[in-house]
Amino acid sequence: MRLTRIAAVAVVAALALGAAACGGDDDKSSSNKFPAGSTMAKLADAGKIKIGTKFDQPLFGLKGLDGKPAGFDVEIAKILTKELGIKDDNIEWVESPSKVREDYIQQDKVSLVVATYTINDARKEKVSFAGPYFTAGQDILVRKDDDSISGPESFQAGDKKVCSVTGSTPAKNIEQYLKDKTAQLVLFDVYSKCLDALKAKQVDAITTDNVILSGFQSQNPDAVKLLGQPFTREPYGIGVKKDDKQFRDWINDVLEAAFKDGRYKTAWDATLGTNVKMPTALTVQRY
Amino acid sequence: MTDALITLDAVNKWFGKLHVLRDVNLSVAAGEVVVVIGPSGSGKSTLCRSINRLETIDSGTITFDGRPLPAEGRALARLRADVGMVFQSFNLFAHKTILDNVTLGPTKVRRQSTADARAYGMELLERVGIADQAGKHPAQLSGGQQQRAAIARALAMRPKAMLFDEPTSALDPEMVGEVLEVMTGLAKGGMTMIVVTHEMGFARHAADRVVFMADGQIVEQAPPAEFFAQPRTERARDFLGKVLSH
Amino acid sequence: MEVFSDKLDVFWNGFLGTVQMCLLAAVGALILGALVAVLRISPIPPLRAVGTAYVTVFRNVPLTVVMFFAAFALPLLGSDASFLKIPGLRDVIKPLGTDLPYFRFATIALTLYTTAFVCEALRSGIGAVPLGQAEAARSLGLSFTQNLRHVVLPQAWKLAIVPLGSVIIAMVKNSALAAAFGVIVTLMGVVDELVSQQYYDAVPVFLGVAVGFLILTIPLGLLLDMVERSQKKVATR
Repeated sequence: MRLTRIAAVAVVAALALGAAACGGDDDKSSSNKFPAGSTMAKLADAGKIKIGTKFDQPLFGLKGLDGKPAGFDVEIAKILTKELGIKDDNIEWVESPSKVREDYIQQDKVSLVVATYTINDARKEKVSFAGPYFTAGQDILVRKDDDSISGPESFQAGDKKVCSVTGSTPAKNIEQYLKDKTAQLVLFDVYSKCLDALKAKQVDAITTDNVILSGFQSQNPDAVKLLGQPFTREPYGIGVKKDDKQFRDWINDVLEAAFKDGRYKTAWDATLGTNVKMPTALTVQRY
Repeated sequence: MTDALITLDAVNKWFGKLHVLRDVNLSVAAGEVVVVIGPSGSGKSTLCRSINRLETIDSGTITFDGRPLPAEGRALARLRADVGMVFQSFNLFAHKTILDNVTLGPTKVRRQSTADARAYGMELLERVGIADQAGKHPAQLSGGQQQRAAIARALAMRPKAMLFDEPTSALDPEMVGEVLEVMTGLAKGGMTMIVVTHEMGFARHAADRVVFMADGQIVEQAPPAEFFAQPRTERARDFLGKVLSH
Repeated sequence: MEVFSDKLDVFWNGFLGTVQMCLLAAVGALILGALVAVLRISPIPPLRAVGTAYVTVFRNVPLTVVMFFAAFALPLLGSDASFLKIPGLRDVIKPLGTDLPYFRFATIALTLYTTAFVCEALRSGIGAVPLGQAEAARSLGLSFTQNLRHVVLPQAWKLAIVPLGSVIIAMVKNSALAAAFGVIVTLMGVVDELVSQQYYDAVPVFLGVAVGFLILTIPLGLLLDMVERSQKKVATR
């Protein structure tokens, strides 16, 4: 597995070197690998790319001190650019907050978006998705000794209190399970306060993305536990221009290959770490 | 003097470096009316205020009704209830009606019923001549009326003695008479009184004894006829000369 | 602007939450403030020291910090402020009786913080009562507490009412901070719910919140102006 990965990198490197050696305007180097006229071929020939990601999403895309974003989304994007023979230095990262992602793709401001981008039908009207490369879900964290909460339904009786953060979809999602918002829901600006409240038994649960909750669990294994039964599914996809099926299929191929040969795991371990359990299989949606 | 109601024995008081009472000895018998006169700054107001402990003293003893003045607390409050005090600036409770001013002490300190306190209060207001003002607030009354109300307020506690600290000094001249009239009536009625005043007329005809103070000391004391006719000390003669020539 | 027709109930509930918290904190702070003011003028030095220490601490610490301690230190001390689940009152003011303690925590913080300012406003009022009033009361034999209760405080309240009003107006505005400490059903909580969770435009929502606060504070201000004018009339009479 490791050998094949090294081999793959070597091949890509050789291709890139070859392209450089033969002169930048030579079409043949890319046409060897990508169908002529395809998005992949165009990008590989250009040798640079604009990628939309988030700059403020811990673990996935968070701008660091060096001014570049880092995280799982970024690593996934780099797997793709390596396949295209584009050097890291030639990637232009474009901050893409949730509201502008479709616009940026439609207006060609970016070639692809890897930005905790949940695949859904409304968005498929405007853009196409490769992946998913990750499935997030809203889960529930409880005190280790508390067996009284088994899922969001446990809040319907009205006697269990739950904490989340202000301005989040999880807070909105859980509301429909609550009997009395005033008596059951508390929101703070950061999750660490929720954790304090949970430990001090002021609340009985914390709810948000399983990724975030996993982090808390790994830091406090003696105090809290994760139910591990996400009650929402948020498949993160890679957004590309609508109906660019060729590009989308190619990305799916790369994702599957990367999952098999360990590049996916390397990216996972480097960013999400061991505290989020990596899935045993990756199933992309081809359409 | 076995029947002394108020006794001051070697009383000293300083305001910082200022020695305002110097070895003051004074004895007031029950039913006696003592008028304290003297130039301003002579300590006569301080003397008056120290008798119900509105001013504390630094040495010496003050005895009231056979017992030394208590320090703070309930005992002091009980003593004060027995000693009526009338101030230069009336000090009527501004937020209460005249009648409520008069009944506050009896109801809260003496635990009288409101009805009893009001009945006696009205009687007193009648006596000082302002029964028709009972429902008004202090600010609506003239200075003379206010001071008479203040006297009624003190009397409502049925005190054993009354202290008057320059009761007419803040009044317009035309109102001095009405207040002195009330005080004279009280004196004739047998009330024990210590009156600090500049009203020589009152001292002359209502006092049993005149006490002349200067520089924190009692310089001389005598029955009014004797004092006004033949002051023994130079200072008293000097003072009387200034006061009476006006 | 359709947010006002769609979500008026959210605004209304938030407004109600703020009103409830402010009513509780105002009553609490006025009572506690009077007590602390009494401590500060008490003839007993240790009591005076306690009063002074209280005011020094709470007047000089940001409300955020007080709120933080209430929300995160009280639980560590094992308290969820259930003493505030007052029978009867908790039926009228629902958040008071919930298992979730953050409404109570924030109300406590707001009360304790405002108490220091009420105390100082009252003390300035007490200072403005002429000394002769207390002397006259003492000369009648009234005890320290009777003196305060029947003579000094009734007059001090009146003299302090304008500064007290400013304190209460400031308190209403300060209550906005509770939203950051787990109390979601308040005026500021409306912003979180409508802007951050339901993606309404921020500006109209904030406008609505501002109007909510103005509905509370402007009548208070007008009332104070009236009191001030009537006091001037009394003073010049």
